[in-house]
Amino acid sequence: MTSVLIVDDELFIVELYRDILQLRGYKIVGTAFDGEEAVRKYSSNSEKPDVVIMDHRMPVMNGVQATREIIKMNPKQKVIFVSADVMVEKEAREAGAIDFLPKPFRMDDLIEKMQKVSAQ
Amino acid sequence: MKTETPKNREQKFAYYMDLLSHDVLNNNQAVLGYLELILASGVVDKKTRKYAEKAVSHIRTSTILVDNVKRLMTTRDMDPSELKPTDLMVAMNSAERDVVRMFPDRKITVKTPSGGPGMRVIGDNAATDLVLNLLVSMVRLDPSDAITLELKVSEQIVQGRECLQITLEDPTAQMPRMAKDKPIEDAYQEDSSIAVRMVGILYCKMMAVMLGGGFEVRELSPKTEPKGAAFVATLLKAGEP
Repeated sequence: MTSVLIVDDELFIVELYRDILQLRGYKIVGTAFDGEEAVRKYSSNSEKPDVVIMDHRMPVMNGVQATREIIKMNPKQKVIFVSADVMVEKEAREAGAIDFLPKPFRMDDLIEKMQKVSAQ
Repeated sequence: MKTETPKNREQKFAYYMDLLSHDVLNNNQAVLGYLELILASGVVDKKTRKYAEKAVSHIRTSTILVDNVKRLMTTRDMDPSELKPTDLMVAMNSAERDVVRMFPDRKITVKTPSGGPGMRVIGDNAATDLVLNLLVSMVRLDPSDAITLELKVSEQIVQGRECLQITLEDPTAQMPRMAKDKPIEDAYQEDSSIAVRMVGILYCKMMAVMLGGGFEVRELSPKTEPKGAAFVATLLKAGEP
């Protein structure tokens, strides 16, 4: 079962991903509402997620910085970047994100990307 | 007390516009996601499915409108020469995919020209958005369940400048009367209910002009019924890479 860490500052978005991903058989190993919390949870949890779903515009630490920190800890970590800020795609990929989805997207597209990156 | 300059005011305005539009997109994401969940639940009857699919179209349209506002904010002070070239074939293929997805309750077919070298225009992402807006605006003018749109591209010299002209034709579209009788902007002043149908057309015109080109709307076959509609957007041609 593919495990996921969800990072987004909007509770309703976190709930949406959780509702849909759980229904589709994914295991949610954690949620974080800003980049710093994501980095902290990532480093303290012994069970690393297969995939991190990362938003960009968040308080305290943004998604690009958080991705950079996570990739520093584990260069093989798969981070799928999801953001309404399409201009940030290049920066996100440079930080180590394996894929990018502009919001709003079809959840099927996210699932498809998750399947693809989990299989890699 | 610190004096607020027009530039500060402008920056503050752009900041709030950006925050608000970002929030709209997040909410659209939630609505779209839950609609998908409903549609995939397997307990939806045919009629409810149709309603949910219509809601998906409106969420997609709402997203495009927000993107248009953002695009206008970022493009309005730019000179076309500051913009990067856009490959029209890539833009047309991506717009074709998006418009088909946007209207799951309609059967939309988009015919695109076969590609070739030299189909690059000045306009960066704004040109890509413009092509999508042409398609979406045309679909909004067509009440049919099955719609066939045809995109054509030709080279033109306009006022001594090399341009590419994108023509979008829909033989079953119903063009608002005001769009053909007078300049598009005048319709907004006169009848806001008609103007609502023309928002997309107005945006296409505004964006094409901002990119240094032009835009016009005409009936496709004025002597027959349905008359259909054609949008013609002219954009400045970009040099080869």
